[in-house]
Amino acid sequence: MSTTKPADEIRAQLGELLPRLRRFARVITRNVADADDLVQVAVEKALTRAAQWRPGSRLDSWMFGIMKNAWVDEIRARRRRERVHAPEEAGATVGDASAAARDIALSVQAGIARLPEEQRLAVGLVLVEGLSYKDAAETLGVPIGTLTSRLARARATLQALLGDNGSPS
Amino acid sequence: MRFSDEMLMAYADGELDLVARAEIEAAMAKDPAVARAVERHRLLAGKIHTAYDGVLEETIPADLAALVADPEDARVVELASARAARRIAVGRWQLPAWTAIAASMLVGLFVGLLLFRGAPGPYEETDRGLLARGELAEGLATELASAPGRSNVRIGVSFRNRAGDFCRSFIYQRESPLAGLACHSGEDWKIRVLAETPASSGELRAAASMPMAVLQAVDVSIAGQALDAAAEEKAREAGWR
Repeated sequence: MSTTKPADEIRAQLGELLPRLRRFARVITRNVADADDLVQVAVEKALTRAAQWRPGSRLDSWMFGIMKNAWVDEIRARRRRERVHAPEEAGATVGDASAAARDIALSVQAGIARLPEEQRLAVGLVLVEGLSYKDAAETLGVPIGTLTSRLARARATLQALLGDNGSPS
Repeated sequence: MRFSDEMLMAYADGELDLVARAEIEAAMAKDPAVARAVERHRLLAGKIHTAYDGVLEETIPADLAALVADPEDARVVELASARAARRIAVGRWQLPAWTAIAASMLVGLFVGLLLFRGAPGPYEETDRGLLARGELAEGLATELASAPGRSNVRIGVSFRNRAGDFCRSFIYQRESPLAGLACHSGEDWKIRVLAETPASSGELRAAASMPMAVLQAVDVSIAGQALDAAAEEKAREAGWR
């Protein structure tokens, strides 16, 4: 087994990124099993293509791009077979939050799950993962104006769903 | 309102330049409606940002952690723990899209793939693909994952794939052990994945390990859950049909 040098270099960094990769995957796939499958595939791809990563550039953005492409491919394949899974009931881990905070988190997750694919990606990158509009647009391969309008539409929908205090309206 | 909602959103996200920021701040001071709109954007952004915090605290599934661990370790994932991880996150992605990916993973990471054309031994390359032969074929038909017998074939899991055929992951113990996934096809066991397992050594000798390539192949082809002991025995009695 020969492992390329670049793969060794990013392996450790990927280990540190795993929690965030899993979080982003959860946003875009909307369920735990798909999310971890997606992370697994993306990490495998990253390691085999490690030479394509420019050292010094952001590994997180690069990984999110790989994940987005893999997920889009998967969605297309599922549509061809007309087997798009409905999102799971919101039952995700929400950590040690208070009951009120947990309710809000679950409502937010349920709202995000209802957004169209492209809006969910924008929300995941900018609002969950904290990428700038510019980095997010590059990751998604769209103009910054497109990213901005997807984000605005997503927020309008979520605002309507959640109301001002975060509980379902 | 002078500013579009998109502008206010960008302001709330800290995306505007100095000049635009100053303009919006002036508008906010003059018009409470503008200030409220910005505040709504900030509130929502905050809620979204924290909604997934819980994921960060979760334990990373063993098979994911193994991927980024030292490459030698990644090949020695102990079957039981990998299976336990699977119970939490059973791969349910559909086969066609993932076969290609699985194939590329094999090429990329498992150089130890052993597909010698015409090599004699526990398998044979035919028009229908790679078929198990001899002791391996015998073991695939008779061994149980729940009760390992005396042959050199150890079964990892048995399950039905999406096509409805019975499949079994296996380790064939010999000087350089082989591991793989075989599915029942006609009268034969068709080998879908074949990989060299890391030579076990020292105290690990008894516990041969299932390579990630095989575990992943199981994931992409399994329909539902692995067979339990009773279902496995029943399937064996029915001749894996």
